[in-house]
Amino acid sequence: MAAPTPRAASYGALLDAVRGVHWPARRAVSSLLPGAHHSTLRGTSAEFTEYRLYRQGDDPRRVDWRLLARSDRAYIRLANDRAVLPTTIVLDTSASMAFPVTTREKWRLAQDLTIGLAAVAHADGDPVGVALHDPRAMVAMLPPRTRRDVVAEIARVVLSGEPGGSEPLAPIVRSLRSARLVLVTDLLGDEEDALRAARAHIVSGGEVHVAHVVAREELDPPRRTLLAADPEQGFIQRMLVESTRREYEERFASWRSDVARRWRAGGASYTEVITDEPASHAVRRIASAGER
Amino acid sequence: MSWLLPSALAIAGVACVALIAAHFIARDRPVAEPLPTARFVPDRRIHARTTSIALSDLLLLALRIAAVAAIGLGIAGPIIAGARGRVARIVLADRSRSVLSLDEVRDSARTAGAADIVIVFDSSARTLTGSAIDSAGKAGAIGSLSAAIAAAHGVAGSLASRADSIEIALVSPASVEEIDAATPAIRALWPGRIRVLRVRAETISAPQAGVELPRDSEDPVVAGLSLLPREIGTSVRVVRGRLSAADSVWGRENAHVLVHWPASDSAADWPKRTSIDAIGGVASASGAIVARLPRLWAVTGRAVARWADGEPAAVERSFGAGCIRDVAVIVDPASDVTLHAPFRDFSRALLAPCGGVQAFAPADSATLLALAGTGPLAPTRAFRGSADESSRFTPWLLVLGAALLLVELAVRRSSKVAA
Repeated sequence: MAAPTPRAASYGALLDAVRGVHWPARRAVSSLLPGAHHSTLRGTSAEFTEYRLYRQGDDPRRVDWRLLARSDRAYIRLANDRAVLPTTIVLDTSASMAFPVTTREKWRLAQDLTIGLAAVAHADGDPVGVALHDPRAMVAMLPPRTRRDVVAEIARVVLSGEPGGSEPLAPIVRSLRSARLVLVTDLLGDEEDALRAARAHIVSGGEVHVAHVVAREELDPPRRTLLAADPEQGFIQRMLVESTRREYEERFASWRSDVARRWRAGGASYTEVITDEPASHAVRRIASAGER
Repeated sequence: MSWLLPSALAIAGVACVALIAAHFIARDRPVAEPLPTARFVPDRRIHARTTSIALSDLLLLALRIAAVAAIGLGIAGPIIAGARGRVARIVLADRSRSVLSLDEVRDSARTAGAADIVIVFDSSARTLTGSAIDSAGKAGAIGSLSAAIAAAHGVAGSLASRADSIEIALVSPASVEEIDAATPAIRALWPGRIRVLRVRAETISAPQAGVELPRDSEDPVVAGLSLLPREIGTSVRVVRGRLSAADSVWGRENAHVLVHWPASDSAADWPKRTSIDAIGGVASASGAIVARLPRLWAVTGRAVARWADGEPAAVERSFGAGCIRDVAVIVDPASDVTLHAPFRDFSRALLAPCGGVQAFAPADSATLLALAGTGPLAPTRAFRGSADESSRFTPWLLVLGAALLLVELAVRRSSKVAA
């Protein structure tokens, strides 16, 4: 058995830190499989809700015979069902995630968020999977599973990923059928297309979470003359000096605010995560952001 | 190797150091750095430069240093001596009256070694070429070591590019009369020792010496001159009328002094003065006469007596191996001025040997030691720096520097285009 890599070894601490965190669905789930989330279906679970008069076609086994004996009326005993919430985490592997160049803090945080959220979803009994572009620009997908080692499998896939290129996220979002989608991204790629795909998913009954990863160096670039080059669109090269810095900060803040507003308006759960925030803390915020 | 202008090397060195320093403090367009949010930076035309402490543009630096070095070397003017350690030689050959035998001078000059330049001198100096010394004759003029050394100083510059040092070989009896008041100062200008090859000096021939006067008892000048001692160390003939052929023959002989002292206006064919006047006195090296004396002629030559206003009153001309003295002083026959002591004092210089009083005795040893000097030979670099000296490498080095600057310009432009 191969020895774990340093990164692989480090996510153990993250799993410990997020143990006990629950990630409830934002609304009732229509899944048939029993799970931890409220289901849109009324079933026979032990969690009683109400009585309803028997109608033709109801299962006679659900009639409350004791109540029939007392009141001579046939009532059916109703109860809320519990269901699982298949979850797929989409990890952005575009070149902009490999920032800062020396520390790659955005990419490391995105990896940790993916593994941490997968662990939380798995702990709730939900099937969990991951999708990302591999170094050959092909979509590497691990379908949602509930088996015991699925988190380790997700960690292996995530840790083997490498940021680069400018592959869009929207096609992946459209192709996924999981009830819960989580986008771990810096939204600097095809953000508008991805939002449209996410809206479609939400309209079809799913839920979408966005973990917007922002580097501290993007918020506060080095205070020196800098010829800033977009790693995904090399033709964009602009001089960042003191005279343009304030306007940059204002534009970036305005864009982030606009992005958050639009994604929330589209029904998604939006969480901005700065690279100097601990991953476990960010996982808790994302999980709690889904609660109503 | 030596340099015409060594300070140019120092200046070029300072320029090279400044170039390297300038390349260390490079100001350049900032290098593009990834920033995923670059799209939010305002798109304005900003010309920014960054400063970094790192050696940049090594090719340009090398080209610039090479260009500066080539130009500096060109201006400094390298001189590569053809024969390192070679000694050039200037032979100063004495042909004055002090020399007993010019053959002895020639032999001594040959023993001094191969001469690059030969200068013969008496009262003046003349540069000879090749074996012209063999054809040079002895002069009756007084010798002048000052003139000889000054002439050597003048030609030394032409030897500077051919040798490292210059030796002067002085072939001369170095008699007392050849050393004047200026000699020590002129000798001090020569920056090295001088090899003195002494030859035998002329001797004063006394046996036939004496003053030969005209037989005219009425002539006051003859009367006055007859009061002088007859034994004066040389043969003197005083002619009061026109010079005859016999006088000319006599005057050509060795050390004969023919004094042509006309008694009247008609006794000489000298050019007349534009205005004939009278003056109150005349003086020679030995004395002066204060009297009203008429001035008829304007004589030319080496002055041996002058009127009170400085105009020559008596001149000496070389004539064969002897000399002729033209004395344009007319004494009134009725005057008794010639009978007094001042006339005799005045006349003594007129009867002196040719060229004045002869002093062929060798200079004392201290004077000779000072003349020879001590220490090394004169270095040729002491004679460089004159405007006519140049380095044959200078134009090539300057062309190389200009070519390197052109290459630097091309490289700089191409690198700008690439950027």
